[in-house]
Amino acid sequence: MAVIAVAVVALLAVSAAAAFVLTKEEPNRLRMATTTSTQDSGLLDYILPTFETEYNCKISVIAVGSGLALEMGKRGDVDVLLVHSPSAEQTFVSGGYGTNRTQVMYNWFVIVGPDRDPAGTKDATSAKDAFQRIHDNGTAGHAVFVSRADGSGTHAKELGIWSSLGYDNTTVAAFGTSWYKQAGQGMGAVLDMCEDLNAYTLSDDATYYSRVDVALIPHLNITKQGDSALKNQYSVILVNSTMWPHINKTLAKDFLDWISSKAGQDVIKTYVKYGHQLFVPNAPGFTSTTAITGFVDTRLFEDVTAGTSEVPEAMLKAKDTRADVPRGGAIDGA
Amino acid sequence: MALEVSYDVIQVTLLSLYVSGCATILGSAIGIPLGALIGLKEFGGKGLLKTITYTMYGFPPVVAGLAIYYLFSRAGPFGSFGILFTPTAMILAETLLVIPLTTGITITSVAEVDRSIKETVKSLGTTPRQSVLTVMREAWVGLIMAAMIGFGRCIAEVGAAYMVGGNIQGETRVLTTAIMLETRMGRFDYAIGLGIVLISVAMAVFFFLRLLQEKELL
Repeated sequence: MAVIAVAVVALLAVSAAAAFVLTKEEPNRLRMATTTSTQDSGLLDYILPTFETEYNCKISVIAVGSGLALEMGKRGDVDVLLVHSPSAEQTFVSGGYGTNRTQVMYNWFVIVGPDRDPAGTKDATSAKDAFQRIHDNGTAGHAVFVSRADGSGTHAKELGIWSSLGYDNTTVAAFGTSWYKQAGQGMGAVLDMCEDLNAYTLSDDATYYSRVDVALIPHLNITKQGDSALKNQYSVILVNSTMWPHINKTLAKDFLDWISSKAGQDVIKTYVKYGHQLFVPNAPGFTSTTAITGFVDTRLFEDVTAGTSEVPEAMLKAKDTRADVPRGGAIDGA
Repeated sequence: MALEVSYDVIQVTLLSLYVSGCATILGSAIGIPLGALIGLKEFGGKGLLKTITYTMYGFPPVVAGLAIYYLFSRAGPFGSFGILFTPTAMILAETLLVIPLTTGITITSVAEVDRSIKETVKSLGTTPRQSVLTVMREAWVGLIMAAMIGFGRCIAEVGAAYMVGGNIQGETRVLTTAIMLETRMGRFDYAIGLGIVLISVAMAVFFFLRLLQEKELL
């Protein structure tokens, strides 16, 4: 018994010592939880060094699903969020867990499907119509759809489109497994599944292009794109520093100010990969967009302020002047 | 194959070794004495305890990660330590995964030795303390094996490392989480390349330990 006691004490001592060494004051470090798409597309590797140099700091990026990113913010484990799940973000902010929610950029979702397009989504008049066609052909046994089904921002967007057709979340979850596959996987893995299953899915365009670039999905095409319902809005949210005093709120605010300034917005605009401009900056005051040299995407000239109607524009545009005022109260509604 | 990645593969590899190494040492420091105790002592419920230990071999890494996450999250009981998303948190999570392995393998090793030499030791009239030490010396190879299997589980593990480490470039990115990142990005060739690095490193560690054993330095 004594041996075990010694071992336990040794473990605690070692971890406490390690904790002390590893958590020495690092005033110039910002912890950012974000979604896998911003990291996997290479955007962060492209834009963050500019900020890090200018502010002499280091950003620790934790790339997870939007759901987990928001949870990390709620629990005070990160300083700032860069996420794309509008309705969950609204809940997060109205629950008092974050402030200064500001839209900073968007990219596009696309509906992708097999070459022969059995559901005829290419002729669909809208994203909504395309989903209806997939549903009808799916239940008739002619088409397959793979859902992320992982609580990610992309999954939320997909559910939003189904919901606009009158299929609520419960109905969607109960769709026949013969045509509606709930993968519970990341975007790349779902695209690979679609390639094998000749299935449709909703994907962010960056991940789709990256998969095409390495010839992993030769039989998948974009069958519907450019509908304003497919806009994928990213926002920055500061984690509530009143609730979590240890948070690096100065640097978090610096980051927000920088990424929504002309300097930050310009860096986002110049990121080109796979022959496409992957993200379009649209922070308040920077909503006019110009295609950059060498690539003209007509989708960029659409009315980008139309939004997805999930988020009131005023809420995004007005920089929250009530920063740092806790709303809601303690965590977990206590 | 050259790995053109934005992070330092050497540093990632060293962190993998550091985290797995520390977790193996801690997990052995706890598991081996615990296993010896369970293996050598007779007490009620021993069979049940052994079954539980063996079942825990299959303890899901993500759950170990989640447990450490909850404990050390700022909203958790030990949040003020601020060790989430550091190698320390990863070591603690991996330690949880090593303990059942080292405990279980030690139970088996000492029980076998115990049976074979119990009578001899008894006939020599040694004290219980001396006989325990004798058994442990005889079971030494099994104990090293326990630690090596623990190390193998740690270095190949991704769920807990990702959950509590966060796969932060230059800070908590280890080989397995880097492989996961490359896979997610569709860069399968890089993922496989890093996998080969991982296997090679693990193999080097095991060869080194075997060498020490053969030279009777361990």
